Amino acid sequence: MSYKRFYVILFLASGLFCLLPLVLDLYRLHVVIVSLFYVMMAASWNLIAGYTGQVSFAHAAFAGIGAYTSGILTVKAGMTSWLGVATGTLTAGVTGLGVGFLCLRMGGIYLSLTTLGFSEILRIIITNEYDITRGTMGLQIPPMIAPYSKAVHFFILLAGTLLTLIVVYKIIHSNMGLNFRAVQNDERAARSLGVNVIRVRVLAFAVSSALAGLAGAIYGHYLMLITPEIPSLDLQFFVLSMAVIGGLGSFAGPIIGSFALTILSEYIRAYGEYHVLVFGLVALAMARFAPQGIMGLARQFMPASGVRQ
Amino acid sequence: MKNPKVKLLFLLFTSAVILAVGPAWANTVKVGVVGPRTGGAAATGQAFDEGIKLAINYINNKGGVLGKKLEVVFEDTAGAPDKAASGFERLVTRDKVVMVVGESHSSAALAEIEVANRMKVPFIVAEAWADPITAKNYEYVFRAGPSNSGVVNETIAKWVAHAGFKKAYIVAENSDWGLGIAELTEKALIALGVKYEKLTTERKSQDHYTELTKIKEFAPEVILAYVYGDGLHFFVAQAGELKVSPRAVILDGAGPPSLWPDFWKNVGEYGNLETFVSSMHEKVELTPLAAEFRTMYEKEFGKSPTDYKSRSIFDAILIAADAVKRAGCTDADSLVKALKKTELEGTRGIIKFGTTPGGPEYHQWMPPMLIIQWQDRNQVVIYPPKAATGTLKR
Repeated sequence: MSYKRFYVILFLASGLFCLLPLVLDLYRLHVVIVSLFYVMMAASWNLIAGYTGQVSFAHAAFAGIGAYTSGILTVKAGMTSWLGVATGTLTAGVTGLGVGFLCLRMGGIYLSLTTLGFSEILRIIITNEYDITRGTMGLQIPPMIAPYSKAVHFFILLAGTLLTLIVVYKIIHSNMGLNFRAVQNDERAARSLGVNVIRVRVLAFAVSSALAGLAGAIYGHYLMLITPEIPSLDLQFFVLSMAVIGGLGSFAGPIIGSFALTILSEYIRAYGEYHVLVFGLVALAMARFAPQGIMGLARQFMPASGVRQ
Repeated sequence: MKNPKVKLLFLLFTSAVILAVGPAWANTVKVGVVGPRTGGAAATGQAFDEGIKLAINYINNKGGVLGKKLEVVFEDTAGAPDKAASGFERLVTRDKVVMVVGESHSSAALAEIEVANRMKVPFIVAEAWADPITAKNYEYVFRAGPSNSGVVNETIAKWVAHAGFKKAYIVAENSDWGLGIAELTEKALIALGVKYEKLTTERKSQDHYTELTKIKEFAPEVILAYVYGDGLHFFVAQAGELKVSPRAVILDGAGPPSLWPDFWKNVGEYGNLETFVSSMHEKVELTPLAAEFRTMYEKEFGKSPTDYKSRSIFDAILIAADAVKRAGCTDADSLVKALKKTELEGTRGIIKFGTTPGGPEYHQWMPPMLIIQWQDRNQVVIYPPKAATGTLKR
């Protein structure tokens, strides 16, 4: 897809989305807002998992860093929400850079295990330092713009989503994106051709972490309440499922996966604990019939339509 | 549609559409209930379910409300503030409930009252005790149940003085309820001149051996345990194992966990002589409606009611239905006006909300509370003296 075509599609889709607050009731608008948060999360996780092959389990943790940094600064230091979100994003990015620098030399299963450990450590700190974070009681924080309006937060999250998608698209279609692919396909070959593998990985990890921090920070202000559920493994696996079911390594996959799974989870929520079972069955069905996700299915059914990786 | 994959996608889509439009034709007045059906206090959700069933039958057998049947929509909050806030919002925006009742976790309720206040939806808290829930004086928030200050000042502190305890240990979970009630207890113990120590424990902790070793060193006469859920069972069992109790009397400062069906299974004989706070006794009825509730309960479930939270939610739904009837409509502001004028017989007394703003008593009704001790698996009321059916055994 050319840049021009990408921006035209993005512009048209955004235009259609801008009409949603006029036609949707508050509940449906909430579902769309949650979906947009997950699009930001899944698309940015796809940048490292789908394009460099690094499976990190710390993505939700970085969203938590963004959310808690912004929340604590606005509540305890009186900072504005906007500045809080910017600081949260930066903190997540810098932490991502640090974590990436320390553990990305490992790669493979070791990277996954290290990020899993980092994620759990962060959750335990947040839960136990309740004097600052209020732990599982939840920290109530102000909205992005007061007085609170769902529609206003919808537009802010939409802007965040567009920013995330543009950044991801630009990266994967740049020289850096080619390097990402090269590292994913054959690390040794990439290294022999002069690609600085570690630098590529760390860079992807830091950008992805910053985008997760941005998503977490804005989402926290939308909910006006942050809890250790944001940096939890539950949320991490939900994001992972969205990217995998949508189609890992494709640009549109995580977007489709995020909307599909958020809407599905709303419908099956009525079945109480059984909704987890239904969710698992859907994931199993997808793994059996469409291992490459919804985008893989689309490629299979519409080979001539130009649906590509 | 010969391709099985297309069939599968079509089936999924059709199911989603059917699920989405299914309830649209219902003609009922909807009341939302929030509470934990999952998590460490899932037993409260079961008590809520029982109370809801009886309340719906009771109200609908008497003609319903505004000529329509009363319908209850339950949202599981799992005791988690984030799930509670989003569940509350879902009840209002998706299910279009006219009022929300319930909750039994203070942290969850504190998240919910913000949504109730923002969305201007009346909310009757049933069993979340933290003072700020009503102390914030939100116009749409009511509480037909105990508050921390009410329980500490009217029951626990007076019992400590009455029993003549000189050394106490406060164990509080890190929740809004636990930290809040521990702080109030500290103040009350200082006023009474009782020597005390305090520690905070993780809400979901199952291992209390370290804390209990510290407690044993202090050798208190009473342990005021503000731990809710299964954690209380672990605490009682491990205290018995380390012989901290029965040398020190353990008071379960919440109550229901000592009444849950798996209490004796989890704590064994270490549960004997444990005390707990409760708004009911297994054999004492405070109002004629309480006796009627017992009859209905036994008929419906084939057992006696034990967890008082089934009565709390029953009362809360009755208050909601009564307010809708008196308001004659489902407009939120009219419902608030009607709720302010509530004077209704419940299972725990005559319910009437406080109207003096400024403190936690605003929009609050405090049921009478008892302190009960397990003596050979029988409930014995030991406080207040006028309701006592026995004395404290140590």
